[in-house]
Amino acid sequence: MACTHDHSCEDHDCSSNWSLYKHIDLSKVTALNEANPGSVKSVFKAWEERLNSSGEHLESNEGDPELLVYIPFTSDVKIKSISVVGGADGTSPSKLRVFINRDGIDFSDAQSMQPVQEWDLVENLQGVLEYQTRYSKFQSVANITLHFPESFAGDTTQIHYIGFKGEATQLKRDVVATIVYEITPNPSDHKTRAETGGGLSHVE
Amino acid sequence: MVLEATMICVDNSEWMRNGDYSPSRFQVQADAVSLVCGAKTQSNPENTVGILTMAGKGVRVLATPTSDLGKILSCMHGLEMGGEMNLAAGILIAQLALKHRQNKNQQQRIIVFAGSPIKHEKKALEIIGKKLKKNSVALDIVDFGEEEDGKPEKLEALLASVNNNDASHIVHVPPSQNALSDVLISTPVFTGDGEGGSGFAATTAAAAAGGVSDFDFGVDPNIDPELALALRVSMEEERARQEAAAKKAAEEASSQEKGEDAQPQSDSQNATSTATEKVSDPMDEDDLLKEALALSMNIPGSDSSAGDAQMSEASNDDQELALALQMSMQDGSKESSAPSDVSKVLGDQSFMSSIISSLPGVDPNDPNVKNLLASLPGQSESQQKKDEDEKPKDEK
Repeated sequence: MACTHDHSCEDHDCSSNWSLYKHIDLSKVTALNEANPGSVKSVFKAWEERLNSSGEHLESNEGDPELLVYIPFTSDVKIKSISVVGGADGTSPSKLRVFINRDGIDFSDAQSMQPVQEWDLVENLQGVLEYQTRYSKFQSVANITLHFPESFAGDTTQIHYIGFKGEATQLKRDVVATIVYEITPNPSDHKTRAETGGGLSHVE
Repeated sequence: MVLEATMICVDNSEWMRNGDYSPSRFQVQADAVSLVCGAKTQSNPENTVGILTMAGKGVRVLATPTSDLGKILSCMHGLEMGGEMNLAAGILIAQLALKHRQNKNQQQRIIVFAGSPIKHEKKALEIIGKKLKKNSVALDIVDFGEEEDGKPEKLEALLASVNNNDASHIVHVPPSQNALSDVLISTPVFTGDGEGGSGFAATTAAAAAGGVSDFDFGVDPNIDPELALALRVSMEEERARQEAAAKKAAEEASSQEKGEDAQPQSDSQNATSTATEKVSDPMDEDDLLKEALALSMNIPGSDSSAGDAQMSEASNDDQELALALQMSMQDGSKESSAPSDVSKVLGDQSFMSSIISSLPGVDPNDPNVKNLLASLPGQSESQQKKDEDEKPKDEK
């Protein structure tokens, strides 16, 4: 198994480096302009599976190679590098632009906004290439949006695997997870100190 | 219960003045819009709905997506009709309004009411549809109002280019007696994708469908238990009364055989009872008529109280008392005079007809009423009454 490390991979398992996929909140992953809704979730898998194209893959609509993938994480992560395995026959994406910690981006936003970083991709059918990030900008990533504006052939874009290398912190961004809505106040929930008998003064 | 932000595009062009949907196209559209808003906000409390108009001076957003139903409905008030509908601009601006929704987790949906002719080309509509599909916006189209050549095809092409996994729908509504909202209730516009009917849709369908109902009397006991109970009780009362009337007729028939002296009375009673029975069987108004006659009997001739009592008692359901009275009549000497007194009063046709015509809901030309009138006066005309007896029996 070829690897960009300058040592042989039999000693250690490269896949542990690419384990950030475990921290992806798969239920909230969305993509725009995908041909089959929900197929985007199939591109996040373990390193060993990256060449396994028997299952689903992400494909854009006919005649339109643009793809926009929104990936939220379950906790803040630091991303060191990104790897993308595209499809054959020119369906691999040729460019990648990423946006950090912005949700609700659509195509008009993505085309007009300045990305945090962008790369010119190469056809990477064996999954050996990784694209390093400017690490300082990717220190606390709660969600990332990948914009693939075009592919090599220009017709459609296919993506079989997207991998992230880095480390996960245990921190979460300020997300209000549990909210208790109170329609009518329950006095027992709002005991004051006087009622519970605290304090020096005592009111009958 | 999909979390959705919806923009409704309302057509307020000049074509909406037409009355081929009653009362007017604009009114049925407004009703449908309020129904859609209610359905959306009920299916999920966090859903938001917004409205914009496509015609007039230009596309105008009346309300951005909000969950406040009152605000949305108040926007529909006082809308002016005029100008031409601009479908493309309407859809694009709706998409823009959805893009800037507050809760990005909501799915985007546009509902278009297309009532006037479409001046855009099919190609342009398809490009718009592709753009919506790319940004995963669903589109529902309500095709009603003006029927122009090529309009359904254009709208179907638009739908095909937007449709992603059957999230978008189109409904063609031709002019008919049914209101637009009734037609829409059963369509996926309300029921959503594969939900098979939200609770709102089901209850409104039950209410709107009217006679088509699984419940007795067309009233859902769940919705209105008191009304259902009242209807059931009155049905049973009517049934009991009819049974009593039938029993009384049988009684009169049997008492008729008892005494020939009582023949005229029993004949008259029989005639009246059969007439009243026949009368009371079908309709409540004849029931009222019978009781009104009974009441009017009580007013004149208080001295001939026995005869009046006899008449009124016979009209009431108290057949045993009537029998007793009749037996006493047979013994009494007043028997010949009493009926004649009564018959004199009843024989006054003009008096009777004036009373009857003053009763509400009674048509003097009604054959039942005529028979009743004819059967009342003249005990000596027992032959005629026998004919009357044949006639009601034949009619039965």
